[in-house]
Amino acid sequence: MINIISIDLKNPKPIFEQVKDGFKNLIICGVLSSEEKIPSVREMAQELAINPNTIQKAYRELEAEGYVYQVVGKGTFVAPVVPLENQARIDELILEIEDLARELIYLGVAKPDIISILDKL
Amino acid sequence: MIEVRSLYKSFDDFQALKNVNITVPEASVYGIVGPNGSGKTTLIKHIVGILMPDQGSIKINGRPVFDNPEVKKTVAYVPDDIYFFPQANMQDMIKFYQSVYPDFNLERFEKLVPLFPLNQRIPIRRFSRGMKKHVAFMLALSIMPDFLILDEPMDGLDPVARRKVWSLIFQDVAERNSSVFVSSHNLRELEDVCDHVGIMHKGEIVLERSLDEMQSNIFKLQMAFSNPPPAFTGLEILAEHKTGSVIQLVVRGEKDTILNEANKMEPLMIDLLPLSLEEIFIHELGGLDYEITSTII
Repeated sequence: MINIISIDLKNPKPIFEQVKDGFKNLIICGVLSSEEKIPSVREMAQELAINPNTIQKAYRELEAEGYVYQVVGKGTFVAPVVPLENQARIDELILEIEDLARELIYLGVAKPDIISILDKL
Repeated sequence: MIEVRSLYKSFDDFQALKNVNITVPEASVYGIVGPNGSGKTTLIKHIVGILMPDQGSIKINGRPVFDNPEVKKTVAYVPDDIYFFPQANMQDMIKFYQSVYPDFNLERFEKLVPLFPLNQRIPIRRFSRGMKKHVAFMLALSIMPDFLILDEPMDGLDPVARRKVWSLIFQDVAERNSSVFVSSHNLRELEDVCDHVGIMHKGEIVLERSLDEMQSNIFKLQMAFSNPPPAFTGLEILAEHKTGSVIQLVVRGEKDTILNEANKMEPLMIDLLPLSLEEIFIHELGGLDYEITSTII
């Protein structure tokens, strides 16, 4: 369970962001369902050989963004609904889609094809 | 918490430490980096109470460490040059540690044995350098330390052993709120494990920061323009580098502000990356002696 998050030490992205994004992906893909307990800071630190303070920071940010919630003495759990009020992240993702679409168009994929991909979602 | 305040030390007329001030918070992993001979080991020997300062103070949880067995009980030290008694095997060393550290936890030691399978009956001097380090770590972790002081701990360890050792150390940090003070000349290695970093140069601490602070306010900004690039006003630029049509800037500031400013210039491509510790060091301090000067011999 812990090993689904992989840390690439050569990646310039800070480790705490890699942990954070790893959990986000698992939550968004539905691998982690709501109310499911995620590993404790200690378990993560032991398994991945990562500084617990780094993991704590990732968990704090995940909580601030509404993906998880912490219960004192019990652990950290996946939050029921991923909130929509996270405008900054939404803006960021839209920019990424634009970039990807632009690249596809450059590579010769027709616009309607891209739109049909989106329609399938 | 470890507090070192205005520490000075000289050996004959060599000033080894000059006005060193550091703070290692509880449950943190503090890394000290510096080139060879910058005073890391001397500083460590003060923190563990082996050397007496010329001036200044070293306090561990508010109490002075020098000649203070009560404090030293809580401190585990893995030096760079590990010493074991001649002819001693692991059993002998365990007995010695039990006599010195009343909190020595044999149960914990036994748990570590399968991780580092070593022959406990043969003299430790017959072990390889890496295996001696294993023994030192097993003993250090078994005294249930509140403070782990490690001098170049990963030297001589293979990658698997490194990971094992860090995993064990981090468990202690997470579970028992131990603090770790670790020295290295390898910025890259410390970057992955520490949450606080101090950089030493010629006996002085030239930079002390938490990694969060460092990573959040200096960035590498890559942009490409179709037209000649505009003047980069509104950005605090530390360095500028141009390769073909791509411009690489090292910029200080908040992530969002930088992105806003940069987007105003309408670049074709934009990429904002955090700086590695090594890059920060080079830009913050001009690299000091870390500059590579090549000599042909």
